[in-house]
Amino acid sequence: MFRMAEILSNPYVQPLIATLLIIALFPLVAGYIVLAERKVLADLQVRLGPMRVGPYGFLQPLADAFKLLLKEDIIPAAADKWLFWGAPVLSTFTALTSFAVLPLSDKFYVADVNIGMLFVLAMSSIGILGLILGGWSSNSKYSLLGSLRSAAQMVSYEVPLGFAVVTGLMVAGTLSMQGIVNAQLEKGVWIAFSNYGLMLVPTVLFLIAGVAETNRAPFDLPEAESEIVAGFHTEYSGFRFALYFLAEYAAIFVISSLAVTLFFGGWLRPFPNVAFLEMPLNTVFPALLFGAIGAGCAVGVTRLMLPEQKGVLAVVALAMFALAAMFLVPALNPFIRGLFWFLFKVAIIVYTFIWYRGTFPRFRYDQLMDLGWRYLIPISMGSLIVNGIVLLATT
Amino acid sequence: MAAGATFLDTNEIVLNMGPQHPSTHGVLRVILKLDGETVRGCECVIGYLHRGVEKIAENRTYKQFAPYVDRMDYVAAVSNALGYCLAVETLGAVEVPERAQAVRVILSELNRIASHLLWLGTHALDIGAITPVFYCFREREEVLKIFERYCGARLTTHAFRIGGLEYETYDAFEKDCITFCDWFDKKVDEYEELLTTNRIWVGRTKGVGIIDAAKCKEYGVTGPVLRAAGVKWDLRKAQPYSGYEKYDFDIPVCHNSDTYDRYIVRMQEFRQSVRIIRQAVDSLPQGPIMGKVSKVYKPPIGEAYVSIEAPKGELGYYVVSDGSVQAYRLRIRPPSFVNLQALDEMCRGSLIADVVAIIGTIDIVLGEVDR
Amino acid sequence: MKEFLKTVFLVDLLQGLWVTFRNQKPSLVYTEEYPRERPPVAERYRGAPRLNVHPESNETLCIACNLCALACPEHLIVVAAERNEETRRKELTTFTYDVSRCMFCGLCEDACPVDALELTQDFELAYFTREGAIWDRQMLEEGPLPTQYKF
Repeated sequence: MFRMAEILSNPYVQPLIATLLIIALFPLVAGYIVLAERKVLADLQVRLGPMRVGPYGFLQPLADAFKLLLKEDIIPAAADKWLFWGAPVLSTFTALTSFAVLPLSDKFYVADVNIGMLFVLAMSSIGILGLILGGWSSNSKYSLLGSLRSAAQMVSYEVPLGFAVVTGLMVAGTLSMQGIVNAQLEKGVWIAFSNYGLMLVPTVLFLIAGVAETNRAPFDLPEAESEIVAGFHTEYSGFRFALYFLAEYAAIFVISSLAVTLFFGGWLRPFPNVAFLEMPLNTVFPALLFGAIGAGCAVGVTRLMLPEQKGVLAVVALAMFALAAMFLVPALNPFIRGLFWFLFKVAIIVYTFIWYRGTFPRFRYDQLMDLGWRYLIPISMGSLIVNGIVLLATT
Repeated sequence: MAAGATFLDTNEIVLNMGPQHPSTHGVLRVILKLDGETVRGCECVIGYLHRGVEKIAENRTYKQFAPYVDRMDYVAAVSNALGYCLAVETLGAVEVPERAQAVRVILSELNRIASHLLWLGTHALDIGAITPVFYCFREREEVLKIFERYCGARLTTHAFRIGGLEYETYDAFEKDCITFCDWFDKKVDEYEELLTTNRIWVGRTKGVGIIDAAKCKEYGVTGPVLRAAGVKWDLRKAQPYSGYEKYDFDIPVCHNSDTYDRYIVRMQEFRQSVRIIRQAVDSLPQGPIMGKVSKVYKPPIGEAYVSIEAPKGELGYYVVSDGSVQAYRLRIRPPSFVNLQALDEMCRGSLIADVVAIIGTIDIVLGEVDR
Repeated sequence: MKEFLKTVFLVDLLQGLWVTFRNQKPSLVYTEEYPRERPPVAERYRGAPRLNVHPESNETLCIACNLCALACPEHLIVVAAERNEETRRKELTTFTYDVSRCMFCGLCEDACPVDALELTQDFELAYFTREGAIWDRQMLEEGPLPTQYKF
């Protein structure tokens, strides 16, 4: 027992365990974000989405991963072999490294660097290089053009993203991710709603620039214009394509986490300092949520026909009920409620990303750059100045 | 390189949007001449779907040829059949009874709605909005269900015969049509809410693909493209056929002749078609459905050209008869074939990303272009 | 002024988002999970052909008049008959129908004077060989057999 406590108090052990857990779990999580995207898009489009693999399609990511692993690995003859190999690795590496500073909970995180926010922004900038190298190494005129456009778009939208982040940081007062969340805990209000509602402008700007950063609709012209100018990942197949895909969904997760940490309270519950809401929001709400999901799964079990699908869904239902029960145990609640609120808010923002993809048409490339440089940058600068003045005047 | 020229001087590059392409609505090959990002001109190469339909017509009897005609504009087959039957009936001076004419009008207007729905879905998909295509196909399902219940097939309907109709309308036909009209009006409102004022949609379609009225007339462009250029020309009003003069409807016209206006014109045409269907169903006369046609149809020697307002423009059939049971020559004037000529004019000066939108807005079906 | 406010507050975009959001009701899902749910085809659907027989005596209704073969645009029906010396009538011997070239136009069904040839509602007509598409009289009279799926 004492050996255990000694080992755990070693400052390298907890981050190592957290890192291993994240790296082991993230491909699964990314796979399920892909499934969520397909199912949510299907819902918006009045259809069903994957339904065959597993109950209601819930084992589809495993089938996709299996398929991608088994595909033939094609490298174009004239391609630069090492760069071709290295480009998706670079993208995935930078996306996953950003996970190191995300404040997943007050108890569970890899590291709390005191320049955490700057680290994430730097990592996403380096990730752009992965895109450019992907297009370059494919040795195709149109791949290169597509990747350069994509990179230009991402670089241009980093500016309003940065300004929105700086505005949020002014209120938070620190670059450390845990510090930002603790600042919101002290203030008692999420940064998005502070400063007399003026911080809503940077919040909206961050969400728009975040969608453009990750090359998602309505800003996905470099990817979708694979009709004429092939996108950077045309020549990639099989597992390399899976790596790019993983990098894209990891970037979506990271940008959503940034938004949640900086503007929506991180792992805090709504109204973090209001005492009488502690019990309903931290105990009752998660228990009810997981209980409802479990009940839905149980109803789904009765409607399925194949016994193996029924078995899988029954296990999922039991797991949901177990989770709901865990929230009701007062000793366990403080350890898991931070993670619950963080993931819940990230899920909502990822849902809105998918919602935008399903609703909006695409911007044309010149309109996209126009929007970024002529509208978003001046507005973000203006909001920085206004928020700064109001902050200075009120403190 | 010319003296004084640097490597930054641009010259034209030729880009091929090949026959296999997700956005060319069939097997169309477009060769673009680009100057950097801007399109300087384009050339269409067609013929990948040529099936020799006009030659087949010379070797089939008039009655046997009717199913082949559906396969030209396979998206909306009923109007092809209407044009063919009218042309052959004019040749033989066959009179079509009123009930048959009214049912033909109802099915043609349902067909127009189905064709425009497919156009809207695929056009929105090309521009990047991935949901309207599913909504539009859901509505199209309802129309195709009515076609299936009436004549037994959804797409290649073979709905009309020379001289009238083969099948009497089924029992719930009128009720189905009215239910559809009521449901569909709300759906058009939904599409307008989703797209018409959306700033991204407006930004992608306003000012794109402009062709003025004079050029339209020069090329022979007809249909919604012509009406969006400000010319109020619709064959249903100008040269009425099959009883269209009995119904009260408007012709939507816009004046900027860009992609956005063609979108508005076709959305208005949805509503006008619903109006016509309601009036036709309310005033559906009783009576025979087939005119006096001999079993073996032998029209007298002569020729006839009849054109109708198909959803995509003016669809014309020119039939030459030599007195036998088979046509001597059948020439089809497809609207998509003639409208496609204007692609070069419309694409000049636009960006590559707009070419896809412009091909979508002309509303072509390669089955018709190539026959 | 109103237009300016609408532009600033992204009203048109929010309107579009609301349209897609309200289409998420599970009751609005339009998918039919084929092959678990087969679509209910109409009565007049022009599907696989069938040669009808008299319900009681199991004799074929076809009188070998050859009108269907003459009506077919693709000339894919071949009707062979022999003259029965006792009743001085033609009787059907073989009837061949090439389903691979058929375009299901229904002209043969329209031409048949005794409703012997009928296009049924079966649309699942995949076959493994080209020869499997040429149906003889026995296949036409039995009618197509619907495929069974395990789920």
